[in-house]
Amino acid sequence: MAYTIEINELRKNYAGAIAPALNGFSCHVEQNLIVGLLGPNGAGKTTCFNILCGMVKPDTGKALIAGRNCTTERVVIGSIMGMVPQQIALFGNLTAMENFRYIGRLYGLSDSTITSRTGQLLERLGLDKHADKRINAYSGGMKRRANIIASLLHEPELLLLDEPTAGVDVQSRAMILDFLKDYKAQGKTILYTSHLMDEAEQICDEVIIIDNGKFITSGPPAKLISETENCTRLEDVFLHFTGRSLRD
Amino acid sequence: MNKITATIIKEWQLMRRDISGLLLLLVMPAALIIVMALIQDAPFKDYQELRFDLLLSDNDKGSAAHQITAGLKKSKSFRIIDSLDGKPVSEEQLKHYLNNGKYKIGIVIPAGVTAEIVNSANIVVNDIWKKANMNAHLPAREVRDQIYVHIFFDPVSKPTFRNAISSALDKYITYSCSDILMQRLSALGKDPDAAPDTANQDKLMQVMKGIGVKEEPLNDKAKFSQNLNSVQHNVPAWAIFGMFFIIIPIAGHLIKEREDGSELRVALIPNAHRFVTIGKILFYTFICSMQFMLMLCIGFWVIPLFDLPPLYPGAHSWLLFPVSLFIGFAATSFGFFVGTIFKTMNQALPFGSVSIVILSALGGIWVPLDILPHSMQMMAVVSPLHWSLEAVNQIILRNGDYDSVISPLSILLVTGCIFWIGSLLANKNRKPS
Repeated sequence: MAYTIEINELRKNYAGAIAPALNGFSCHVEQNLIVGLLGPNGAGKTTCFNILCGMVKPDTGKALIAGRNCTTERVVIGSIMGMVPQQIALFGNLTAMENFRYIGRLYGLSDSTITSRTGQLLERLGLDKHADKRINAYSGGMKRRANIIASLLHEPELLLLDEPTAGVDVQSRAMILDFLKDYKAQGKTILYTSHLMDEAEQICDEVIIIDNGKFITSGPPAKLISETENCTRLEDVFLHFTGRSLRD
Repeated sequence: MNKITATIIKEWQLMRRDISGLLLLLVMPAALIIVMALIQDAPFKDYQELRFDLLLSDNDKGSAAHQITAGLKKSKSFRIIDSLDGKPVSEEQLKHYLNNGKYKIGIVIPAGVTAEIVNSANIVVNDIWKKANMNAHLPAREVRDQIYVHIFFDPVSKPTFRNAISSALDKYITYSCSDILMQRLSALGKDPDAAPDTANQDKLMQVMKGIGVKEEPLNDKAKFSQNLNSVQHNVPAWAIFGMFFIIIPIAGHLIKEREDGSELRVALIPNAHRFVTIGKILFYTFICSMQFMLMLCIGFWVIPLFDLPPLYPGAHSWLLFPVSLFIGFAATSFGFFVGTIFKTMNQALPFGSVSIVILSALGGIWVPLDILPHSMQMMAVVSPLHWSLEAVNQIILRNGDYDSVISPLSILLVTGCIFWIGSLLANKNRKPS
């Protein structure tokens, strides 16, 4: 089975919103790539992720993961996809291990499976010595890494990450990015968002630029930089396509 | 099932780390029931239970006055004070002490009361005798203006108090008059010089006493019966109030999980939400039930330390546990509903607390519904606290069994389901953050 993402003409208009969050957005993500979904604030990235997770129904259009409809086949999608939300989606008064045990049980995993997978991930992301500390006692970087572990317990083939490195120190960011590269090396597919263009340029095999709910362009960062006039960095490409006006 | 158990374990882990919250959940209702039982002890005692000092000024000194005084002295309601500083109480003294509030009630038996009662009795007896074509021979004269036994109250006494005391006094005075009438009747036909036929007279009095009002038990459970008192009302009532106050931590907990993103984690896991909700409902229902049982234990063992009667749990006290589960379910579901429909703590917490206070007032938690106006009694049906109290009262006051609580428990179950389904629907329609 090819774990690809296929998005076709997605439209979503929230009640009371001035403009549609997604306005005919389409894109395609191949298996075993790290793809950056880049866009300014309000471009439609989070809505796109929410539709892929099956948490929001599109008004029109389709989102398919591995050929399965994200809206109607949520249970299957949930088992093959992991989502790392921008928020630290963990219980602050529980220890990291208690969080993972609870989340693993909700995924239907056995305690032995949870223990073994958690052990590997904690070690890989440098949290093995802090497994019995409460999440509230973690630093920002540790919380981000724990947030990633919680999304990987069921070993998803596809990983969506919403700004996984926002607000973390350089060391934590390096560890997270290295981990994502390793994860991709296992044949997994990663779609992630970030406002850090240098980071996206460094880690992504491809980027998709979205603005005002519409697809703008896509391709490998190096190719986009070379094909766009007067651009030497991905940030230049991004500003070229999305403009310099503020998106408050 | 594993997901539900996992949720229960996780909720317990979170709760046991919030020691202050856990203590508040248990200590505050305990303090509430003790304070409310103490405060409402006096108002709950009806006038039959209380004993009042009664100043008595006897200006008659006759047998009727003596019988009235003796009757009042036998009564459990009054402590008769007919002398002050070794001297009989005068009418002036009596009015003085009532006026300055030292005493609440006083009666003055005017001179001539005995003569008037005896004369009236003789007239009645002679009349009966005459109608039987026999010669009457009891001395009688024309009836004079009626002579009343005068009753005086402290000016600040409430009308209900005055009515209750007046009725009680009237009862004793009427009884004394009847007693004299009986004596006159029994005296008829006897040789005035012969020894009094006390056996016959006592028999007649016994017959007359047998005609009256006597409280009888409703059923064979009378030996278990317990009248409504401050403890019987306040312990279950405020324990129920405390159970429903769990909506505050539940609503706060749900909003916090939504705000800090942990709810999102559950939402991302397919099919997890319903099991998590069931797990939470079960957990908090059980906590509510434990809280209720602990409050009953306090009513049973701690309340008597404050000179109040212990809580009487009824003839089928085991039923209180399943009843507490139903109440807990309704309270927990209400908490879920409040936590789901409101977006912030600032909205949910004031609404939750005020709604519980209103529903408790409507439901008869503060004061028994019987003494509220009819319109308020009709409105009580909308309060789940009313049905909770109704179910508990069936057990601890009416010694009800399983059948007697089916109706209120069904209503609590339906109420809980409505709130639960409402919160599930509200959650489904919520836009993800």
